[in-house]
Amino acid sequence: MKQALFEAQHEALWQRVATLLADKQPSNETQLPALYRQLCQSMALARQRGYSPLLTEHLHGLVLAMHRKLYGTPLERPMTLRRWLGVEFPRRVRQEWRLVLLVCLAFWGVAAAVGLLVWFQPHWAYSWMDWQELTRYESMYSPSKEHIGRDGSDDDVMMFGFYIWNNVSICFRTFAGGLFGGIPALFSLVFNGMHFGVIAAWLSRDPAVAEVFWSFVITHASFEITGLLLSGVAGLRLGLTLIRPGRLSRRHALISASRHIFPVLVGAALLTALAAFFEGFWSASSLIPPTTKFIVGGICWALVIGFFVFAGRGQHEA
Amino acid sequence: MLDGRLALLTPEGIRLSLTPAGPVRRAFAWTIDFVLWLIAVIVIAIAIRFAMGDSNLGEGLFLVVLFLSYWGYPILCEVYAGGKTLGKRWMGLEVVREDGLPVGWRESSLRNLLLVADFLPMMYATGLLCMLFDHRFRRLGDLVAGTLVIYSPKTRARKAAQSGEAHPLPFPLTPEQQRALIDLVERAEHLPPSRCLELADLAEPLTGLRGEASLARLRAYVAGLTR
Repeated sequence: MKQALFEAQHEALWQRVATLLADKQPSNETQLPALYRQLCQSMALARQRGYSPLLTEHLHGLVLAMHRKLYGTPLERPMTLRRWLGVEFPRRVRQEWRLVLLVCLAFWGVAAAVGLLVWFQPHWAYSWMDWQELTRYESMYSPSKEHIGRDGSDDDVMMFGFYIWNNVSICFRTFAGGLFGGIPALFSLVFNGMHFGVIAAWLSRDPAVAEVFWSFVITHASFEITGLLLSGVAGLRLGLTLIRPGRLSRRHALISASRHIFPVLVGAALLTALAAFFEGFWSASSLIPPTTKFIVGGICWALVIGFFVFAGRGQHEA
Repeated sequence: MLDGRLALLTPEGIRLSLTPAGPVRRAFAWTIDFVLWLIAVIVIAIAIRFAMGDSNLGEGLFLVVLFLSYWGYPILCEVYAGGKTLGKRWMGLEVVREDGLPVGWRESSLRNLLLVADFLPMMYATGLLCMLFDHRFRRLGDLVAGTLVIYSPKTRARKAAQSGEAHPLPFPLTPEQQRALIDLVERAEHLPPSRCLELADLAEPLTGLRGEASLARLRAYVAGLTR
C-alpha cells in the first residue's frame, strides 16, 4: 500500500486521537484503550512498511502521548497521606527497630556520655566550645529573659521561620547524607548529640538556669529530636541497602528501599515542622510557668512514644 | 542501533524511544532554575520589606517562604507541570519515571531531596560522576527514585505526500534505502541549497543526473514511492 492511501485510511483515527490529547481534562473516554491499540497498530504498520520518517515520527509522538494518558493516570488512592501517617509511618518505624536503636544510641548515648563528662569535669566543655559561646548560651537561658533561648528580642514568627528553614533542612540533609553508607547521617546525629550533651550539662550546673533551659527544650524536643532521628533512620536504611542489597541488584534494592522508607521521611519532616511551631510559639514564652511546660512536655513525649509503640497495629497491609 | 536512544517495549508490542539528557544540558537547566529562584527570592524579600518594614514578622515570613520555595519549587513543578521545572522547560527536558510515565510525589520528592547527596563533596561532583558512569545519565537521586531525565519528545508537523509528477525507480531499492530517500526529500527545505546539491550529486548512480536535475528526479522518485 502506498503512503498516501495509508494516510487517507487512518486520517480519521489520528484526528480523533489528536483532539483527545489536546483535551487536558481527565476524559471519561471508554474507547481510550481500543483507540490506543489501533494507533499502535497503525504505527507498527507505518514503520514496517518504511513510510516516511516524518509520518512515523508524528505517529510516535501520538503513541507516546497516548501511552502516558492511558497508563500514567494516577490511581485514585483516597486518604493516602492519612494512611501513611497514621498506619504506615509507625509500622515502618517499628520494622526498623534495630536502626532506631542505633540512632538513639548515636544521639542519646553520645549526648549522655558527653553530658556526664561535662557534669563531673566542667572544664571539658571548653574542648567543644569556647567560653564566649558558653556564656552566650547561659545568657540566652537566664531566668530574667522575656524570650527564652534567643539572643535578642527576636519575634516569635521570625524564630518560627528560622526553625522551619534550619531544622527541616537539617532533617533532609541527614536523610540525603545517609545514602553514602550511612556515615554522614550517623555523623550528623553524633554531632548534634554531642552539642546537645555539652550545652545541657553546662547549663544544668546552675539550678535557676537549668529550670529555664529544661522547661524550654522539653516540649519541642519530643518532636524535633524524634524527627531528626527518624530522618537518620531513613537515610541509614538507604545507606545499608547500598552496602548490602540482598537478593536484588543494588539499583533495584535502592528503589524498593526508598519506596518503603518514604513514609518515614515524610513523617519525620512533618514532626520537625511541628516542633518548629512549639519552639517558636510555646517553648520560648516566659509567661507560661515552667511547671505547665514540664507537664505539657511530658504529655508530648508520652504521645510520641505511645504513637510509635501502638499506632497502626492490627490493620491489614494495604 | 547505536544511538543515545532508549527503547521501551510496551504491552502493545510497540517500541517507544526516549532520549536521555546528558550532564551539560541538565547543568544549564539547573543554572536557569537557580537564577530564577534567586531573583524570585530577592523580589519577595524586597516586597516583604516594603509591605511590613523592618519587622521581625516579615523576616519570619521570608524564612518560611525561603524554605517552601527552596525544597518545594522543583517538586511542585515536576508533579504539576509535566515533569518540567522552568529551566528544564527552557532546555527542552523533562523528568519521567523509568517506564516513561509521568513522575508522582514520591519519585519527585526523593530525587530532589537526594540532590543534596549528589552535591557532595562539592559542586555536584557525585552526581556528575554517577551520570558519567550510568548509561542513561542518571544521578544518584534518579537511581534511587527510579526516574530519568529525557529530552521532551518533539513532534514535527506532518506534511502531505510529495506532489508533482511521479517517476518509477530504475532498479528496486531496499526499504532502508527508500526511507533514506524519502527522509532526504522531506528534509531538503531545511538544508542549505549547496548541501542539497552536493547530496543530489552523490545520488548520480541512481538518477544518472547531477545538480538540480538530480534533485528534481529524486523528488519524482519519492512522489512515486509515497503515492
